[in-house]
Amino acid sequence: MRIILVGYGVVGKGVTTILARRAMEKVSDYGFNPKIVAIADVDGAVINPRGLSPEKLEEIKKRGYPISADPDFGKKGISALEVIKTVEAEIVVEVTPVNIKNGEPAISHITEAFKTGKHVVTTNKGPLALAMPALTELAEYNNVYLRFSGTVGGGTPMLEFAKRCLAGDRILAIRGILNGTTNYILTEMSQNHVTFQDALANAQKLGYAEKEPSMDIDGFDTACKVVILANWIMNKKITLKDVDRTGIREVTLQQLQDAAKRNSTIKLIGSIEGDKAMVKPTEIPLTNPLCVSGVLNAITFSTEYAAEQTLIGRGAGGIETASAVLRDLLDIRRKLATKLLT
Amino acid sequence: MKKIVMKFGGTSVGTGENIRHVADLVTKYAKDNKVAVVVSALAGVTNSLIETGCQAKKSDEKHIQTFTAELRKKHTDAISTAITSKAIQKEVAQITENTIAELEKVLTGICYVGEITPKSKDYVMSFGERLSAPIVWGAIKDHKAESQCFTGKDAGIVTNSNFGEADPLMNFTAHLIRERLSPLLEKNIIPVVTGFIAADQDGVVTTVGRGGSDYTATILGVALQVDEVWIWTDVDGIMTTDPKIVPSARMLPQLSYQEAAEMAIFGAKAMHPRALGPVSKENIPVRIRNTAHPENPGTLITKEPIANAKEAVKAVAMIKDVAMLNVYGAAMVGAPGSYAKVFDVLGKNSINVMMISAAASEANISMVIKRGLLGRAVSNLEIALQERGGIVSEVTTEDDVAVIAVMGANMKGTLGVASKIFSTVAKKGINIRMIAQGSSELNISFVVKEKDGAAVVRAIHEEFNLDKN
Repeated sequence: MRIILVGYGVVGKGVTTILARRAMEKVSDYGFNPKIVAIADVDGAVINPRGLSPEKLEEIKKRGYPISADPDFGKKGISALEVIKTVEAEIVVEVTPVNIKNGEPAISHITEAFKTGKHVVTTNKGPLALAMPALTELAEYNNVYLRFSGTVGGGTPMLEFAKRCLAGDRILAIRGILNGTTNYILTEMSQNHVTFQDALANAQKLGYAEKEPSMDIDGFDTACKVVILANWIMNKKITLKDVDRTGIREVTLQQLQDAAKRNSTIKLIGSIEGDKAMVKPTEIPLTNPLCVSGVLNAITFSTEYAAEQTLIGRGAGGIETASAVLRDLLDIRRKLATKLLT
Repeated sequence: MKKIVMKFGGTSVGTGENIRHVADLVTKYAKDNKVAVVVSALAGVTNSLIETGCQAKKSDEKHIQTFTAELRKKHTDAISTAITSKAIQKEVAQITENTIAELEKVLTGICYVGEITPKSKDYVMSFGERLSAPIVWGAIKDHKAESQCFTGKDAGIVTNSNFGEADPLMNFTAHLIRERLSPLLEKNIIPVVTGFIAADQDGVVTTVGRGGSDYTATILGVALQVDEVWIWTDVDGIMTTDPKIVPSARMLPQLSYQEAAEMAIFGAKAMHPRALGPVSKENIPVRIRNTAHPENPGTLITKEPIANAKEAVKAVAMIKDVAMLNVYGAAMVGAPGSYAKVFDVLGKNSINVMMISAAASEANISMVIKRGLLGRAVSNLEIALQERGGIVSEVTTEDDVAVIAVMGANMKGTLGVASKIFSTVAKKGINIRMIAQGSSELNISFVVKEKDGAAVVRAIHEEFNLDKN
């Protein structure tokens, strides 16, 4: 299966690592023989229609940016869009940085892939948060698949768990801690009694938070994930603007201490209940399985028959998120095989 | 006195001078024979029409103007060289002008609508022959011979509505052509008919696709029950091999229809099997001749080869730009339908298989496909068939190979041909990667590394004395 990788950040590198590792096992167990035929980033691309060898991928990773400097296959200045349009492949893996203003350039990448008959695996929340109903319709119309497990829960299979393992049941509500950065800050504040500002500075020092932290602490990241869950699992056609969103800037040490007295704590909870999609700092009992500390994520699905199911795992990280990409690729491979044989 | 259909290809009518030469030939033969003429578009015109037609859907009208201006110049230049009489020049120029004006309207229409359908594409393509035929007609008249110009449609070629690859309704077509053209032949008037283009029963323009103008010529030949169909081209005939590889390659004086169909792999220099269809049924001989050397007899294609019937091998060809695809799987052994699955996956992805070889052990199957399709073929075979429990365990490829095809009708029943071929290759120290021989025994094909291809062709050509009569 030929793959075009668009975006060579931490997730992109993780994808190349994971695809090269234990290659024979993937072939014999899953019939999955991935070949990365192109990697595109802002400076240009590396293109080899026969597939880049594991050695070559290692070399590219060591050299770093600009990736188009590769002496054998580098192509300086070619845009990712052009690569998607012109290079033959079955799948585009879109892992460019998130943009929640207009979803670009990822939306263009994804729609171009659809138009040229390529399936898409993305970990990019932006396009989905802003245009998920549109993109899923477009994929269906073009008879290709769009997969995005890595957008929620990183490597923790939250979307598949709900969609597959709970098939047949009805999911009544979803509540979750869907952002590791804010959870780290709130954990620091409640357990070590540091102020919001200090906890944020600490998170930035450790690389958990961005220099421009608004995406996380104002709840945008969580809200994006709420949109994806609502669309994919609960079939609600909502986008980012439909989420009632409050961040954690206003959470005080006093509030956390008061909560502690009640054997509770405050967490940034994203939830979908009935018609309401919400992101809000919420007090929950310490005994609630959702109540995880540090950068962990957790999600609870309330179902009609199987009652409450909670999944806990790491919600970010290059390799972790790349593992979700691998799952999506295998899923598409299986679906294609069925299609080809019937 | 013979009845002959003569077809002139794109290079034969490439320039005004060439067209004048064509008129010389036609009128010379028309003195003692009854001749009908089929012409292709001027060299390169059909391709540029397709290109502009496909671009018209996005380009501006300005581009159309530039294109038609070039086209007008090309044809008016040809008119002024091919025809000397001012009156005839003017008459043909007027037809050209009207035709180009119509083309301009069609292209502008496509530009506005923003799409080109197979139907409108056929219409656009038809202009190549509609522009060339009147010039040939004018040049013939210029030689003081009587002539009349027809489109394929007006001549009576009626096809189905399979645009881009239309097939004639042969009996109906023959009926109309006889009605319209036979009376002219009787009066020694030379009909000039556009090749390649025809019309369906509603009069909508179609093209005959693969086989092109050659196909038109053989359709006409059958309808008019001619003695021979002559295909005028820029080579002396069908050769024993590509003279670029073997300079001593020899022209083949005679071939059977079956052999000629095998030679289709020689590409543009040979005839497409589709074009041979009508004549082989009616047993009408086809002769391939060179406009530059009309003194040469060319290659005669007939039902049974008469001369040199002893030769087992007649020609050897190399096919490049191919790749070999090997599919392995122990699970294929003894499992009915497993090959079908492999070919089904390829077929669903529009991949044409050129050559197949599978050992009786059934554990692997090798195929040759176009090199450009290799990536798609491998991906889809792996996706569909390689899962645990699937029938395929491994797919390997070699994309630096070429197919060598050795042909000849008398290989059938001649002992030792294969051993002679393979020992010749072995003597050169070249490894054969794959072999296929159909039970028709007209052809043995095998795969070698592309870098060895030319040496193999030379060795076989020499071993079988193909350069000697």
